[in-house]
Amino acid sequence: MCGINGIFAYHPAASSPSDVELLATREYMRPRGPDGSGEWWSEDRRCGFGHRRLSIIDLSDRANQPMVSLDGRYVLVFNGEIYNHQELRREFEQRGVRFRTTSDTEILLHLYARDGESMLGRLRGMYAFAIWDARERTLFLARDPYGIKPLYTANDGWTFRFASQVKALLAGGKVSRDPEPAGLVGFHLFGHLPEPFTLYREVRALPAGHFQWIDEVGPREPKQFANLAAILAEGGKTPTPASELGPRLRQAVLESVKAHLISDVEVGVFLSAGIDSGALLGLMRDAGQQKIRAITLGFDEFAGTVEDEVPAAAKVADQYGGEHVVRRISQREFQDDLPHILDAMDQPSIDGLNTWFVAKAARELGLKVALSGLGGDELLAGYPSFNDIPRWRRNYGALASIPRLGRMTRVLVQALLPSVARHQPKALGMLEYADSWAGAYLLRRGLFLPHELPALLGEDTTREGLRRLRPLAAIASKLSPNPGSHIGRVCTLESTNYMRNQLLRDADWAGMAHSLEIRVPLVDWQLTRSLAPSLPSLVRGVGKSALAIAPSVPLPNEVRERSKTGFSVPTGAWLAHTAGAANKPLSKGQASRHWSRRVLEYPKLYTEKAA
Amino acid sequence: MSATVLALATDAFGGCGGIAQYNRDCLSALAEAGHRIIVLPRHAPDAVDPPTRVTQLRARASRFAYSFEALLIAVRSRPDIVFCGHIFMAPLGWLAAKLAGAHLVMQMHGIEAWPRPSSLARRACESAALILNVSRYTRSRVLDWAAIPPERALALPNTVAEFFSPGDGSALREEWGLEDQKVLLTVGRMASSERYKGHDRVIAALPELLAGGHDVIYVIAGKGDDVLRLEKLAEGAGVRERVRFVGALPRERLVGAYRMANLFVMPSSGEGFGIAFLEAMACGTPALGLDIAGAQDALADGELGVLIGPNDNLAAAIARLVSKPKPAPHALADRVRAQFGREVFSSNICAAVVRLCSGASTMSATS
Repeated sequence: MCGINGIFAYHPAASSPSDVELLATREYMRPRGPDGSGEWWSEDRRCGFGHRRLSIIDLSDRANQPMVSLDGRYVLVFNGEIYNHQELRREFEQRGVRFRTTSDTEILLHLYARDGESMLGRLRGMYAFAIWDARERTLFLARDPYGIKPLYTANDGWTFRFASQVKALLAGGKVSRDPEPAGLVGFHLFGHLPEPFTLYREVRALPAGHFQWIDEVGPREPKQFANLAAILAEGGKTPTPASELGPRLRQAVLESVKAHLISDVEVGVFLSAGIDSGALLGLMRDAGQQKIRAITLGFDEFAGTVEDEVPAAAKVADQYGGEHVVRRISQREFQDDLPHILDAMDQPSIDGLNTWFVAKAARELGLKVALSGLGGDELLAGYPSFNDIPRWRRNYGALASIPRLGRMTRVLVQALLPSVARHQPKALGMLEYADSWAGAYLLRRGLFLPHELPALLGEDTTREGLRRLRPLAAIASKLSPNPGSHIGRVCTLESTNYMRNQLLRDADWAGMAHSLEIRVPLVDWQLTRSLAPSLPSLVRGVGKSALAIAPSVPLPNEVRERSKTGFSVPTGAWLAHTAGAANKPLSKGQASRHWSRRVLEYPKLYTEKAA
Repeated sequence: MSATVLALATDAFGGCGGIAQYNRDCLSALAEAGHRIIVLPRHAPDAVDPPTRVTQLRARASRFAYSFEALLIAVRSRPDIVFCGHIFMAPLGWLAAKLAGAHLVMQMHGIEAWPRPSSLARRACESAALILNVSRYTRSRVLDWAAIPPERALALPNTVAEFFSPGDGSALREEWGLEDQKVLLTVGRMASSERYKGHDRVIAALPELLAGGHDVIYVIAGKGDDVLRLEKLAEGAGVRERVRFVGALPRERLVGAYRMANLFVMPSSGEGFGIAFLEAMACGTPALGLDIAGAQDALADGELGVLIGPNDNLAAAIARLVSKPKPAPHALADRVRAQFGREVFSSNICAAVVRLCSGASTMSATS
């Protein structure tokens, strides 16, 4: 993990970009890369790059960034890892190219010089990078297919800026903080910021799987190069029998884990009592890693309950010979860390606390890299949504498609049974949203529903925000082309919304705050491509069971039969307590709603403080 | 690649306002690059001959006749681009572009584009393939109400004509009886309905300047229905004899006025861009404005001219600038040309149109 940033004054009238701004943005990202830093300016000083380095592959100074090509034409700043860099390197070496470093950074320069934007199809990994072409005077930005690595841009009409973090862009002092109603509305609908929106109108995420050119006229519209729906649709055309899932999964996931272990520093693993992380640990062993440190969070509140992950995780660690580290977290530590958590949160999120603490624990052990089982539920139909959403579509879809029925029912219930309307907003939304996949998904993942927003945000902000965000159309657009199966559709919806905008963002800011690179072998384009033909026939539960037996020594039965808890913290109680609602017991959903209000207050404080 | 452009403009080749000038600059640059332009103006006072490849049709003042004619040409000439020069005409521009199967390019100038427009005009603007904004501020205000990808909104600043250049301004000084006094100049309309140009602020600053021993004269060029009030204001402040209203100036005299002034000062709070800043600096005279809206662009964030905050002491800022000798005029004029010259302007708008017509968001890195 690293932090990258840059400024390109593309219009001749734009004032010259300053060192002060470039460094202010770069230094805000110091935790992303405490091992080194670099700065580069074009000859005419109209384009500048900054880089903070966390050294993981080729630890020498030769691999520092920004990196300039031998002929001086191309300059690169890069955040992430290219897992197939050795294979690509061999390809170039066979053609007589000599490398100066053993880093994955240098390969990007060669690939770009040779293939231009089509290089992106060759990369396996997580990445966000920018390349300056001094001859053409163009800037090229790209972000990995799943959006594991972040990249934010800001364009004021004369000057283009980019950085790994929204707050880093703001720290430069030249980017407008005018609010983006679509961001605010999106946060209330989903509990995270749906890309490309942020809380600020001028700052946008370069969407996952997109690249963007910036030239003398300014930035062009980002262009998509990788589409999850398309590879699932493609795979669905040649479906494989259910019996093939096991062997196919074993091979593909082992291969992904091997790729994700490429590193010049030790790689650890986050271990819960769930199947995903346990299987990763087993596969790390299969891949030949000798020393494996596995970290599990323990909470006294959970001791002796089914939510306590420690005993099952200990068993898994023991089975695979991992060194098990249990890190106990108390409510006191949570309260003490809270200001730091809110500071580190790049954009408001209703989650990420778990990742914060497990990353903190990993860093305390001196780890720079850890694997996480994130993504297993999206890929292998682990969430209840894989059953719920198709069922809702089936049971309520026809009724919900009767024009205005849902809305009228809601208004009626709100008038006659206000307490039902207040406590069961989602049940009430069924007739309003189950008429489409996008609607059913919004219902499944929604924090608040659109009709609840005016009371929170006011009529005008809600109307403008919804108009700009177009939440249903935005969700529906992810399903094009049609992934071809229920599983494919829900997999796409979960991966391109919840996982991309919530889980991966949380993993980034929470890991980054502790200078820890979190790698996600189950979020891997090649893995998904390999499994795509098997997904349509998947039944919820079967995929995860297949993953549990993917390691050569299968996971213990206890873990395989345990219901999913993932990495959980006693969030319900702590968050409710923090949000000032401690006196009444709250469901997790209600706690999240309270918590979202608290989180949102914080960026405002931040804005005022910094302004 | 050569495109046919249908330009729907309030006025273009004929008309003396900033919008007419901007339209002329845009369309001339495109014509020079080989595109064919058909201009349909609402008004064409003092019409001038358009350059090669530009055809200006007869002006139609009536809204109905204008709309009918615009749609007729759109259908008959099948332009590649419909260039719509004013937000009020956006719905017509949208329909013309739709009928012709053309890209709609909208032009946004200043305050008229800042508030959220009618929902019809808003939708029309949102259908545009490109929105050209005269300043970053106008662009930002447009993006406030227009739900479009921000890459479609470009900030394309005004350019300044070649005849605004450094030179001798002593003749006008002599004519106006100004000898060694430090001359402050504002050029702009004085409309009682607007009152944002900042004349009041400068008048209010004069007593402090005089008390500080600065022998200043404030020359106000331009016309409008607010002159009487400003005269009274100056009288009330006891500086009436220090303020000269010289009316609207023809081009040669305007250039002379810029050249002879020690400082161009326009503490305006509502500039779409503030072309007068550029004209003054192109004549070699330093300029001072407020760090608000389009003035930030004309003064290049303080790199070309001086920007102060709206609550800063204007008199002190003026005093600082007039107590220094006037800087080398050609050096300032050259910098203005490098940032806002015709070449920059033409290359920008032509590149934007090429990008639009090629329709490609990609290019080859190895080309």
